Amino acid sequence: MMLGQRDWVFQQEARKPKAVGETLARFWTYFRGYAHVLLMVGLLVVVSTYLQVAIPNLMGQAVDCFLAPAAQGTVASTSAANCWYTTLPPQSTADDYIRGLGGLVLLIAAMFLASSLLTGLQFFLMTYTGQNVLRRLRNEVFAHIHRLSLGYYSTHEAGDVMSRITNDADTVQQAISFPLISVIQGSLLVVWIGYTMLTESVPLALVALAVTPVMFVATSWLSGRARQAFRQVRRSVGNVNASLQENLSAVREAQAFNREEQNIETFSESNAASRNASIRAVAYTSALQPTLEALGYVAVALVAGVGGAILLTGQSVMGSTVSLGLIVAFIAFTQRFNQPISQISAMWTNVQSAVAGGERIFGFIDLVPDLQDAPDAVEMPPIEGRVVFDRVWAEYEPGQPVLRDVSLTARPGQMVAIVGPTGAGKTTMANLIPRFYDVSAGSVSIDGIDVRAVTARSLRAQIGIVLQDSFLFSDSVMNNIRYGRPGATDEEVVAAARMAHADTFIQRLPDGYQTVLGERGSGLSLGQRQLLAIARAALARPRILILDEATSSVDTRTERLIQKALEELLRGRTSFVIAHRLSTIRHADQVLAIRDGQIVERGTHDELLAARGFYYELYMRQFRRDIDFTAEPVSA
Amino acid sequence: MRRPPDTRQPLPRGNRRPRGPRPNFATLVRAVRYVGRHRRLAILAYGSLFIATAAQLLVPQLVRVIIDSVIGGVQTQADRASAIQALIAAMLAIVLVAGVRALFAFSQQYNAERISQNVAFDFRNELFARIQRLSFSYLDRNQTGQLMIRATDDVEKVRLFIGQGLVLALQSFVLLIATLLVLWFSNPTLTLVVLPILPLAFAVFTIFGAVAQPMFMAVQVRMSALNTVLQENVAGLKVVRAFGREPEEQIRFAGAADALFTQQLKVARAFSFLFPIAFLIANLGQAAVLYFSGRQIIGGTLTVGEWQKFSLYLAYVFLPMGQLGFIINLMSQASASAQRIFEILDTRSEIENRPGAVELDGISGHVQFEQVTFRYFKGGEPVLSDVTFEVQPGQTVALLGATGSGKTTIINLLPRFYEVSEGRVRVDGHDVRDVTLESLRAQIGIVLQETTLFSGTIRANIAYGRPDAGLDEIVAAARAAAAHDFIMDFPLGYETPVGERGSTLSGGQKQRIAIARALLTSPRILILDDSTSSVDVATEYQIQQALQQLMVGRTAFVIAQRISTVRNADLILVLDKGRIAAQGTHAELLETSEIYADIYSSQLLDDAPAAGVDGHITARTVSVAP
Repeated sequence: MMLGQRDWVFQQEARKPKAVGETLARFWTYFRGYAHVLLMVGLLVVVSTYLQVAIPNLMGQAVDCFLAPAAQGTVASTSAANCWYTTLPPQSTADDYIRGLGGLVLLIAAMFLASSLLTGLQFFLMTYTGQNVLRRLRNEVFAHIHRLSLGYYSTHEAGDVMSRITNDADTVQQAISFPLISVIQGSLLVVWIGYTMLTESVPLALVALAVTPVMFVATSWLSGRARQAFRQVRRSVGNVNASLQENLSAVREAQAFNREEQNIETFSESNAASRNASIRAVAYTSALQPTLEALGYVAVALVAGVGGAILLTGQSVMGSTVSLGLIVAFIAFTQRFNQPISQISAMWTNVQSAVAGGERIFGFIDLVPDLQDAPDAVEMPPIEGRVVFDRVWAEYEPGQPVLRDVSLTARPGQMVAIVGPTGAGKTTMANLIPRFYDVSAGSVSIDGIDVRAVTARSLRAQIGIVLQDSFLFSDSVMNNIRYGRPGATDEEVVAAARMAHADTFIQRLPDGYQTVLGERGSGLSLGQRQLLAIARAALARPRILILDEATSSVDTRTERLIQKALEELLRGRTSFVIAHRLSTIRHADQVLAIRDGQIVERGTHDELLAARGFYYELYMRQFRRDIDFTAEPVSA
Repeated sequence: MRRPPDTRQPLPRGNRRPRGPRPNFATLVRAVRYVGRHRRLAILAYGSLFIATAAQLLVPQLVRVIIDSVIGGVQTQADRASAIQALIAAMLAIVLVAGVRALFAFSQQYNAERISQNVAFDFRNELFARIQRLSFSYLDRNQTGQLMIRATDDVEKVRLFIGQGLVLALQSFVLLIATLLVLWFSNPTLTLVVLPILPLAFAVFTIFGAVAQPMFMAVQVRMSALNTVLQENVAGLKVVRAFGREPEEQIRFAGAADALFTQQLKVARAFSFLFPIAFLIANLGQAAVLYFSGRQIIGGTLTVGEWQKFSLYLAYVFLPMGQLGFIINLMSQASASAQRIFEILDTRSEIENRPGAVELDGISGHVQFEQVTFRYFKGGEPVLSDVTFEVQPGQTVALLGATGSGKTTIINLLPRFYEVSEGRVRVDGHDVRDVTLESLRAQIGIVLQETTLFSGTIRANIAYGRPDAGLDEIVAAARAAAAHDFIMDFPLGYETPVGERGSTLSGGQKQRIAIARALLTSPRILILDDSTSSVDVATEYQIQQALQQLMVGRTAFVIAQRISTVRNADLILVLDKGRIAAQGTHAELLETSEIYADIYSSQLLDDAPAAGVDGHITARTVSVAP
């Protein structure tokens, strides 16, 4: 709780420019478990890349060994020189050629078959590995969500945290299966084909490769512009999503104020801004593919033209000659060479955004929770209920204490009431007992054990908390109450609901206890939600109960009945009650009146009234209000 | 831990509703029809597509010219100069055609993307507009996280198809047909070798399309489920921790992640079959043509150059085959997502203007409930039964009763947030169902139980119901709501930004802004739903004062817990289990209603003994006791 917003922001900013290598190394730790799978994929990629080079080569051989010689009727020296597959004797008949060709075609078909199967296998293995890694990443991010203190969430938008699991994980996923294979295979291909071309014919290879640098320049320029444009897109999409999120959860307000038209118009504006930003960005990405393709054609034209010219002039350039088959093969080479380059350039953006996504995910996982179980933390033994605050200070922002030097002792079985104006620090006190936050000075202990010395889970498992804004899950009423104690029987759940006086309204819900509640319990009134939250807490049979404005929206009659029932339930257990309605806390064993983070008065209700101090003022103001209103008509 | 294992299924919550009808490609066609709204762009994109494709088809022709001129040159040995000239001309032509092709390919892709962005824009706008008008009961049943996924992720999936898949499919089709024509005219025999792959490809397309689509639907459903668990855990963080349920939530999340994983693998398995098959069809065709054309060449009926050209064109027949997998992938995803989008767009709100609904204006504020019964669904247990009462213009009605007795339901029926099951609600004699929703709600100001403020300035929040209001009006409303002073205490005054969920303001401050917001619309009817429960006494007092101001001259409905608040009401309705147990004024009810007397004493008797410390007050208390 001592970390202010600035520190978090700083941490995040510091993480951004970190090395790509580090993130990749981090990814590797996740892939390590699949090393054997990856090794296999690697082998498959090498083999299928080999096939991709070999097949056009063999097709070239069909021309050089069979077609050209047969067509020319003689053994053309230039073609034969490039034929290594098989040499048919000069007196071969057409049938011999056809038979030879048939054999070659079968071989090619077999290689195609093998190549296809390998591709499928690679795809599956990569997806399998990728999805496994992704699942682990998601689970780790989720686990970390619950490891970070509540303080983190008061300074960070929930949507941002969630996007690590959805959007960022998605970008990682999109890079893992196909693109990764494509990039690896493409790189292999480029090297391999480049090498083959150079060994086949240096001059033709140089001609074919002449365009490649231009491709790189074009790619880097266009993708650089695209990246810039996409930054704007991300911002505007963020605006659209924020606007959606806000408006979707406030449709009721919109209808109540007839704001639909206006909202639609406003949304349409941010929607249009996002569309326009996207269109600006796709101008660059749309240009990439055609540009590379056109350059590819230029390369083909150069190879065909220059090769043809060399062949026609019959000269040997740089000590090598050119055959027709070689030209045909080089046309194929050039196409096969340029294709992976444009593929890599397309896929590389995916890989880049995966690295960026990875950075954000790891950045989140690496956040050190400011509130952790001590290394030697023990399980909290069964709580007796002696709660002691010893000179406690607490602050959300450094230098702005919310609690100052607060001390109190609650004996087992006591009911302690905390009263005071809004913002005095009541809820902060309640938050310290289950260690939702840490004190900045002093200590909070239960049964003589500092809450920081035990595991948070074993501590919280024995403490029941009912908050003013009672969060309910979008699950059945039954399961919502059972959340307090998963093993409880249906009868116990119903008994808890009766105790909280929720049974009557639950019975009238469409499916009774099986009614599935809307998001956060929408469809129920605040008071109804509070009753369910009380039932939930009661079912858990906590050793310490904290009620933070737990019945503020419940009618006074029901409130009184619940209090009686709770008294029964809490016999011998310690409880803390925060309430504005002072009538609720009249029976408290101790009343603590706090103001500006300090306890200004303590004692029983009667003692404090007799003291005629701060509490008396509070009480009288409330009481007088009731009396005044009540009295008016009588005097009228 | 003392907790036994979780008996709940680790399946995500909120996924119990039966799934919609099975997806089919008709919804996709419907989505594609949105392209028609951008006719100019469509003509640009698809026109470019034809030209780019034509240019693409020209290239093999030019390569053939090169090869032929080389062969010609080699064979004749005679006219080298002219052969080289032809060569150079062909090279230049290829470069030129490549340039044209690049230009139009860019235009095709860029305009297709523009269309897709525009269609996505339309979808998001329509979804937004639809959701803005969904009835309260629909919202009660659905999670915003789930609606959110539809407006973002599903729209994006459809957009991807329209921007890439559709163009690719069209391009493939045009290329295929054009190539086949070219091939047919150059070598019919060889073309016959190629033709059998068409039905094969069609079969693959149909089968995989049918298989993949439900799979993607399931992926989207499971993705939404994962998001719901996530969203709940982030929003309900404190509750999860308070009950120490992190491990169980982790299990639940892992369950949802597993379900998604399994489904993704299923998809991967299907596509790891599809991709090789598509490639194989393309490649085996190529091998077959090599063999048959080889026979022709050897037989002397075909030249190497012609074959080369044929083989290059052949690539254009097989290219679409290779892309088939990709197209099917995009298409199946898009049609699953389109289905989810149209599910929302086709949702008819149960509450809409009737045909012939009239405008309600200048009402006096006379409200009648006539034997109103309300149920969540037909045949269900009534939440309100036979509620009848009448309020004269300018009167204040207080609703009192136990939690869950139906107070909020009654006030929700007045602006027609929900529809009565039986009976009717009248405003100035008009059944609320006979007037337009807009005109009805314009007459009603509401301060809801929970205050939602919007990100924006305080000024914009107060002006929420009347965006065109001037600053002087806004200040007047804020003054009346006892909000002006604290607003002016902020350095930025009315321009102070309000954070996410209005977090920079205290509960009481938010409440007063909500009151100012309601006041600014100068409604004839005012509804105040227990608007002071969450604030301390001092603030409550200020708010009460503000509310008194607000209610003057207006018909007001007030839900409150304290007798003191409702004491002066012209009419008090005491509700019990959805029925009006008693109605009347304070004095009447003290005589006639046991429940009311009970509530009264629950509040007064509690305080009375304590008041003993102050003799003056005791005397007054005694004087009012019944």
